[in-house]
Amino acid sequence: MSDVGKIRIRVPANVKPGDVVRVRCLVIHPMERIERDAQGKIIDRNYNYITRVTATYLGKPVVAFDLTQSVSENPAFSFALKATAPGPLTVTFVDTHGGKYEGTANIAFA
Amino acid sequence: MRSVLALPDVRLRRVSLRAVTLAATLAGCALATHDSAPVAPGAWVSRAIPEARGEVRVAADGTRTAVRYKGWTTRDFAAFRTYASDDARPQPPVQKATMPAGVAGDPKKGRALFLDRQKGPCTGCHLVPGADVWPAGNVGPDLSAFADRKLADAYVYQQLWDPRVIYPQTVMPPWGAQRIFTPEELVNLVAYLQTLHGPVPPEADDDRNPFTRRRPTGFGDNLDPTNNPAVIRAEEAQQLWGARGPKGKACADCHPGEPAQAMRGVATRYPRIVAEYGRVMSLEDFLAVHGETTTGRALPSESAANVDVSVMIKMASNGLPVAVDTTSPAARAAIDRGRAAFYRRVGERNHACADCHTPEHGANKFLGGRFLGDVNAGLTRHFPTWRTSQDEIWDMRKRFQWCMTPLGANMLAADAVEYAELELFLTTFDVGKPINAPGIRH
Repeated sequence: MSDVGKIRIRVPANVKPGDVVRVRCLVIHPMERIERDAQGKIIDRNYNYITRVTATYLGKPVVAFDLTQSVSENPAFSFALKATAPGPLTVTFVDTHGGKYEGTANIAFA
Repeated sequence: MRSVLALPDVRLRRVSLRAVTLAATLAGCALATHDSAPVAPGAWVSRAIPEARGEVRVAADGTRTAVRYKGWTTRDFAAFRTYASDDARPQPPVQKATMPAGVAGDPKKGRALFLDRQKGPCTGCHLVPGADVWPAGNVGPDLSAFADRKLADAYVYQQLWDPRVIYPQTVMPPWGAQRIFTPEELVNLVAYLQTLHGPVPPEADDDRNPFTRRRPTGFGDNLDPTNNPAVIRAEEAQQLWGARGPKGKACADCHPGEPAQAMRGVATRYPRIVAEYGRVMSLEDFLAVHGETTTGRALPSESAANVDVSVMIKMASNGLPVAVDTTSPAARAAIDRGRAAFYRRVGERNHACADCHTPEHGANKFLGGRFLGDVNAGLTRHFPTWRTSQDEIWDMRKRFQWCMTPLGANMLAADAVEYAELELFLTTFDVGKPINAPGIRH
């Protein structure tokens, strides 16, 4: 897991102006979880998981996910996006340690 | 016979399957060290991780515990025939049986036994009425109106005890002859079956009925890293490619460039006969010995590193047609042995691979909720494959080992010659078809 923060964004090929496309994004992240002992007390661990995901398209925010608990190692998210104009789509992942990981995909029309 | 190692008793209680981990770990400490000299077929020393070697531990009190993967059963099936080429035991003899007289069967108990997942379950292959029958399979006939056939109890009892008396080519296990069900239990089952009268009411849910159930549609693009975690694992394995092992060499020193170029087409030729080792080797088998002899880095079979690097190398051949050697005399002999293994009946249940994976029998039907693959379609070119149900990448050998357990046969070591030859036989059905790894399956 040496690539922590590496981001992959998948947008369908052959997008036409006005298409609503499904964007899939994933970040390499270890997900250190909270664990409890037999008495139910939180075992003090340095938990670390993705807690917020935001995306901006053409400089404007299009979606934000707030995660109240850990979801997965290398979590993947998907959302619908209306491709109005060619330009960058930026996805930002923030973890509970304040780590911020950013990836960009270019929306281009065939 | 497989080797049996006597080890100190670790007091394995049969609490939960989780206990296996402990056993596997302890066994691992005691069973290390291999020499890497070439060996003749039949005398192969396994390079697999400890839980993948198919070993059985015998405690001081004689308790036998099979060492398998975490979460798998530890029951020892030593009494039953395996795929080992030196296992000369025949399949269990066909047994006639007479129904115990004067015992009244209880249909209620019979129905519970029919559905009992610790036994058959009979519902794995046969459909019977009831919303709690889920998921039923259709490898065997629909028994929803079985009693309308008006068969004699004694005949039904014999069919359950050992159906080979009536149908020599059946895929149904000899439940009584192999002591999986007791005579009393079989009487209860007969009583239950004789209550199944038609007409059968229409299905409330078409998916309950395996004859009308929807076919599985798959899990989307298997090469999309946001969809298939195995792709990410393979990308991470690229770091191993350039990393120097204890002998000061890296894979990239002899195979210059990125693995996608350097290894292009290599996987299309596997499994193949490797003269140096005098045996058929799958890609994973070869990596286990080749990685160690060249770089000094051990890549034992079924270790994460071995599987991940295998996926990476197989991905380098994606889109290229499978081109294993099927013509040389040595390859043909190996394929013949693989074919014999495919049809060999093994285990407590006396099953063969062919029972589930040929269209004459179970292929393209449901075994419980599982859709059975057809050997003719080619079952190897998407391996190693991500298993959504296991959250792991499985190569072909682990898949074989998994099949052994419900069959009631002790598994062989993951890198056993028998498995490699079986995989070679299966791969002959993939010749000319494009490799597409890693797959993604349930």
